[in-house]
Amino acid sequence: MKDNRYSESDVTTQPVKIAARNVQVYYGDSHAIRDVDIDINDKTVTAFIGPSGCGKSTFLRCINRMNDTIDAALVTGDIRIDGEDIYDKRVDPVQLRAKVGMVFQKPNPFPKSIYDNVAYGPRIHGLARNKSDLDEIVEQALRRGAIWNEVKDRLHSPGTGLSGGQQQRLCIARAVATEPEVLLMDEPCSALDPIATAQVEELIDELRQNYSVVIVTHSMQQAARVSQKTAFFHLGNLVEYGDTDDIFTRPKDPRTESYITGRIG
Amino acid sequence: MSDIPNPAAPIADPRGASLLVQDGRTKRRNAAEDRFKLYGIVAITIGLLMLLTLLFTIVSRGTGAFQQTFVTLSVPLLEDKLDKNGNRDLEEIKKVSTFGYAPLLKAAFETKIEETGIETELKSKAMADILSKDAAAQLRDHVLANPELIGSVVEFEFLTNSRVDGYLKGRVTRESIANDKNISAEQLDLVDALVADGSLAKRFNLDFITGADASDARPEAAGMGVAMIGSFAMMLVVLVLALPIGVAASIYLEEFAPKNWITDVIEVNISNLAAVPSIVFGILGLAVFINYMHLPNSAPLVGGLVLTLMTLPTIIISTRASLKSVPPSIRDAALGVGASKMQSVFHHVLPLAAPGILTGTIIGLAQALGETAPLLLIGMVGFIASNPPESIAEGLMSPNSAMPAQIYEWAKRADPAFYERAWGGIIILLVFLISMNAIAVLLRRRFERRW
Repeated sequence: MKDNRYSESDVTTQPVKIAARNVQVYYGDSHAIRDVDIDINDKTVTAFIGPSGCGKSTFLRCINRMNDTIDAALVTGDIRIDGEDIYDKRVDPVQLRAKVGMVFQKPNPFPKSIYDNVAYGPRIHGLARNKSDLDEIVEQALRRGAIWNEVKDRLHSPGTGLSGGQQQRLCIARAVATEPEVLLMDEPCSALDPIATAQVEELIDELRQNYSVVIVTHSMQQAARVSQKTAFFHLGNLVEYGDTDDIFTRPKDPRTESYITGRIG
Repeated sequence: MSDIPNPAAPIADPRGASLLVQDGRTKRRNAAEDRFKLYGIVAITIGLLMLLTLLFTIVSRGTGAFQQTFVTLSVPLLEDKLDKNGNRDLEEIKKVSTFGYAPLLKAAFETKIEETGIETELKSKAMADILSKDAAAQLRDHVLANPELIGSVVEFEFLTNSRVDGYLKGRVTRESIANDKNISAEQLDLVDALVADGSLAKRFNLDFITGADASDARPEAAGMGVAMIGSFAMMLVVLVLALPIGVAASIYLEEFAPKNWITDVIEVNISNLAAVPSIVFGILGLAVFINYMHLPNSAPLVGGLVLTLMTLPTIIISTRASLKSVPPSIRDAALGVGASKMQSVFHHVLPLAAPGILTGTIIGLAQALGETAPLLLIGMVGFIASNPPESIAEGLMSPNSAMPAQIYEWAKRADPAFYERAWGGIIILLVFLISMNAIAVLLRRRFERRW
């Protein structure tokens, strides 16, 4: 069966982008993530699924060190992006986050204009030499966020005035504007209606061309639709990780099977 | 209380009962709710009535202070009295003290009587006594400002003394002056005649708002202006010191400081400081700023420093509250695109918290503006006769009072004319406080953003 997958898509031939070994996360006394080892491929959509509180978002936030902002959180183990340990003392998390963009559960545009929302990242990272450069970056990002056509005539109206789905695509555009290599998405569609969800999912599929996308989702259908690889988390453990098709059709672990058939979760 | 089941009552059986009839339990609950609403309405009504009484009292007693009685006289500025050598040398004219002007005032009254034909048995000195003790000084200031007028006859409006003013305002009556040495019935007859003539009348007195305090004998000349400048100077110090220090401290505590027992202790202490009686800050200011650092007594700079200490907790608490109210998703968003902590705070969190910070600051300032107790200890309360300062530095360093201190000072003086001025001063103070609060509300409305 594995041979069939090879012929269908070349996913597994992509190089490894993120390699995690023996990752542990503690929140105070509770051990939120245990012994997670995972290799995430470049130019692939990887979905993290699992019941609430299983640690999938926590692990996602380890990849761009957003857990650093929580005082009680302690991360140990080894996470490498392109072979570089991101928890090395010399790594500045701010620089890391420019490389690893993030889209959050709730659309959170800045209460500024659409243009300023997208231009903020490039501005603080000095990606544009002048105004026309910046205009181009903004347009490019909004096109990649599949929202350009809807907002091109009102770039200077507030980003908070858009609909939920548009706001989320704006946030994706904002994330890609800093030219990241990895894009983390924490349940990006959970606050959206089905139509907006479909648009964002389509967009995620397109983003695979350029980025390694990691998406946390509660919806197994969504994981099946958008991802090539799926990781199932349960009670802080990475239970099973493999090609999405295999996870959903031939789960090896009984816990995975229980979850995808709806018995736990 | 009413929800606790009464063991004696039968257990309710709602099944089968009609919805159109209220059962006993529902009736009791509704009655309890109605009673509660009634209590609320009664409480609010009492509060409103008290507020109205307060405002009515302040306005009815205080408005009188904005009007003062003036008498218009033609004064001959005799050259042989004011400038004997006739060379219009300002230094020489200055040598003539207010005593030198008194004969001119008497002469002015004599002319007035001749012109109008008022019959009075008073001597010219007694007639001049209906003028304020400040009248000669008023005239002298005018002459020194316009020395070219010497030798001519000028029309001049003089303040009358506070008894005459009280007579026109109804505070002083012919019965009440029976034992009063400051004014006699004959003098009041003259006043009546002058009122009939139209040369003695009440009018709006700008000097009450802009002028300086005056001594016990001259309540009619006292004004709030210099105390107001003292208050402004203190507010300037408070704003310049408390706003940056308070905002910086809150940003550090709220966004950067680790959460451990030290920051917990600091937090508790800031809340406690906000509740410390202001007089404690006053004695601290006396000990540190005046006794130890040897800053001048009664200086608005010291007052401002003390009020800064007092205002800081208010500003820190309100700033922290408004920083807290900025949703964390905004911080996440900024960090997510690779902004540093400081960039996320200064580019995103602070602008969103700004209206709250400004409101807190203005309310803190308004509080400081109305504070009297700490000023008591650093010598800003009392009769501080000073001229309006000529520069900001002088305004900060030279002895001055403040608006609430001035009101307190007037209220404790014996002459009822000062009592009226205390109420008037309260009106001025309230106008400031209300406008500051209005600005706070406007800023909040204007810049409040939704996300």
